[in-house]
Amino acid sequence: MLTLYRTLMYLYPAEYRREFGEEMALVFEEARIALGNKSPARVWFYARESVGLLAGAVCEHVHALTLSPESNSIRRLNMRRFPISTIALMIVILAGVVLAIESAKAIQVKYDAGVVSVWDTMPGFVAIGLALVCCAAVAGWAILFALHRSGIHRLSDVQTWSDQR
Amino acid sequence: MTSLPLTEPVFLVLLSLAEQPRHGYSILKDVEAMSTGRVVLSTGTLYGALQRLLRQGWIERFHEDESSRDRRAYRLTSRGRKNLQAEIDRVRHLSRLASLRVARKEA
Repeated sequence: MLTLYRTLMYLYPAEYRREFGEEMALVFEEARIALGNKSPARVWFYARESVGLLAGAVCEHVHALTLSPESNSIRRLNMRRFPISTIALMIVILAGVVLAIESAKAIQVKYDAGVVSVWDTMPGFVAIGLALVCCAAVAGWAILFALHRSGIHRLSDVQTWSDQR
Repeated sequence: MTSLPLTEPVFLVLLSLAEQPRHGYSILKDVEAMSTGRVVLSTGTLYGALQRLLRQGWIERFHEDESSRDRRAYRLTSRGRKNLQAEIDRVRHLSRLASLRVARKEA
């Protein structure tokens, strides 16, 4: 379970993980041991921890993107660490959406097999819209990657004056 | 951004640290005990709150035991204590006001 916990920690930004990852895993392990073998409590505990981790990861990414004045991680675009955790988070969200669509289809088949699916009647603009969103995301990522390769994010580190006067 | 009024979990975390410095697990258990089991924090929620409080300078982190690199404890800073006191005053004022209003209605 600790391994799964540590794996889920990869949803957090790398900086956060380095700062709190080990400590969080220690606390998780202490809490898990303290629970003992009470099955209902364990199920509730794992559910709470999973939801807490996912919500925490989303909050941390949102915080990183909203550029708090004291954080310069976005000012520097922090691109080296951005894609891995974000891609993992996007996969989780995509899996959730696909699961929801499949569940909705199953419900539709079960209760109203005669009704034509909305996907069959809807014009192709949904597909086009999705394709456009994907293209925009790829273009955005490509721009960030190109900026990172150009080294522009290091400009904020450039010292334009001499320390020795 | 942590600002007044505080959310209940953050308020309880600060109250827990007001008494003495604590490490993560100790805060979890204390918050649960203070709220008589009503507020049970996950590690994700706890460390999200701790990180915000650290960022705001309301709490600080230190090594409780030099032999353990990962076991760190947290304590209130003077800024955190001042803000906690302001929140306690706000809650006290609200509570007094509520009692007065209810008593007036009943009279």
